[in-house]
Amino acid sequence: MAKSIAVLLDDKRIGAVKGSDLEGKIEQMFGGQLSCFIVEMDDAKAKQVMDAFDTARVDSRGFITDVPIAFNRVIFEEIARTKSLGAEAVDGVLARVDEIQKAAAKEKEFLPCPEF
Amino acid sequence: MSILIERPPPHGGRLEERVVHDPELGRKLIKGCPTFDIKATLDDSGTPVRNVYREIMSICYGFFSPVDGSMHKAEVDRILKERRLLNDWVFPYPLVFDISEEDLKNLGVGVGDRVCLKLKGKPFAILDIDEIWRIDNPEEFATKVFGTPEANPEVVQEPFDKKMPGWVIYKSLNRVVLAGKFRIINEPTLLPPFDKFWFPPVKSRQEYDRRGWRTVINHQTRNVPHIGHEFLMKDAGYTGDMEPCHGIQVNAIIGVKRPGDYPDEAIIEGHAAVNEGGYIKPERHIVTFTLWDMRYGNPLESMLHGIIRQNMGCTHHMFGRDHAAVGEYYEMFATQTLWSKGIPSYGFPASINDVPYGLQIRPQNMKEFWYCPVCNEIAYSECCGHTKEKQKFSGSFVRGMVAEGLFPPKVIFRPEVYKVIVKWWKEFGYPFCNAKYVKEKEKRLEVDLPDM
Repeated sequence: MAKSIAVLLDDKRIGAVKGSDLEGKIEQMFGGQLSCFIVEMDDAKAKQVMDAFDTARVDSRGFITDVPIAFNRVIFEEIARTKSLGAEAVDGVLARVDEIQKAAAKEKEFLPCPEF
Repeated sequence: MSILIERPPPHGGRLEERVVHDPELGRKLIKGCPTFDIKATLDDSGTPVRNVYREIMSICYGFFSPVDGSMHKAEVDRILKERRLLNDWVFPYPLVFDISEEDLKNLGVGVGDRVCLKLKGKPFAILDIDEIWRIDNPEEFATKVFGTPEANPEVVQEPFDKKMPGWVIYKSLNRVVLAGKFRIINEPTLLPPFDKFWFPPVKSRQEYDRRGWRTVINHQTRNVPHIGHEFLMKDAGYTGDMEPCHGIQVNAIIGVKRPGDYPDEAIIEGHAAVNEGGYIKPERHIVTFTLWDMRYGNPLESMLHGIIRQNMGCTHHMFGRDHAAVGEYYEMFATQTLWSKGIPSYGFPASINDVPYGLQIRPQNMKEFWYCPVCNEIAYSECCGHTKEKQKFSGSFVRGMVAEGLFPPKVIFRPEVYKVIVKWWKEFGYPFCNAKYVKEKEKRLEVDLPDM
């Protein structure tokens, strides 16, 4: 069964795709209080993601979660670069696994606290 | 026939209270005793996974009544076979004071001796040794504690391994067990922020009386509450008898947790923020905790939770999906199976309420809550018909949002609760438990001890 990843969008990310075809693909969650892209992938690609990141798991919704924060940043960059929510974006992420894993190692010790 | 539900007696009939309040008596009790500094149980990487001091606290303050000390071999054997103490009362887990062969040699004690147990360098408790026994193979022992898919096919789906924190705790035990009764002889002071929420069973029962609560439903937590948890508490709170439960109690489990869980400080203050914000008014809501390094044993853990909360005086206990679970070792409704029809392979051919020497606290088995964009509200899965449109409160999804630093919408976290997460994130440099947090917490613990 295909798996999905929800890529959350804050104002900055929404601004980055404004005017592109991607803008029409923004999904609303929780009554419009959260925006996201839903990236779907086949089992083979999902397995590559799961194998690359030992914390990753599939939750009760069939979504891949518990990936490093760096993964979320990179997948958004690849979506914006390829203008796609499909295999191109996922391939772009898989090509950058080493980079994500290095960043993820640092994330285990420290994550910057948001200022509101 | 009365339909009113009364507060249940403690499990085993009476509350254990094994705390010496008189310092002079405490000094007399340790005079001339050999001393032993309590050490954390470490996993293979040297990370703390348990500190037996939490078990001593929970035993001596009556949370685990009728257990009164480190268990004898015959008692542990019976628990592993039938999940019962030697006095027949149901109990899920072995609780032991374990030390290494080297420590035993250095300590030079035998049966009949008393040991003064020190914590943070100060006298804390005594252990009167009446048996010394050995765990032959800690890994096999750990597996027996939780079961196997072959031996417990009703609920165990996968063999337990190093990703299961409870299994790791038992696998990491030292082989020598000093069995006997504990007594705290130097009463610890709870550190902030935990001090405000310390309600051992004697005190919690007094507190319910003071508030006029006859019926109290407990919410087990190891989480900062999102809106789904809040609605679980509110809706389960309608359970009661001729009126909804008078009180809703949160009892957080405070101790070592798995990486990715929230820090204990954020958990306890996050729940307090729910009533401070008026989402469940403080007159009906109380936040409390128990010291325990979670074993994540799903149905077995729920049995311990039932014992703790019955001892505290609760009449009801809510149980959801994947109760106290990690991974997919157990079937997701294993806890509800234990409380509805029993798990024969663990020794319970009927509900744990319906077996001799079982529990009297009543289960409230709940399914799940989700956000429904059609109903435009938080909906209960057994009411809402919009199953295609539902949006679930996945804990992993919520943690991912927090870690990315996005301010969560009010439909996911109350702002007051999220601010608690950020407060402790600033303090620890991380929003969740990680190895650094666990190691620092092990030095700090949740208590200080006075000089004797």
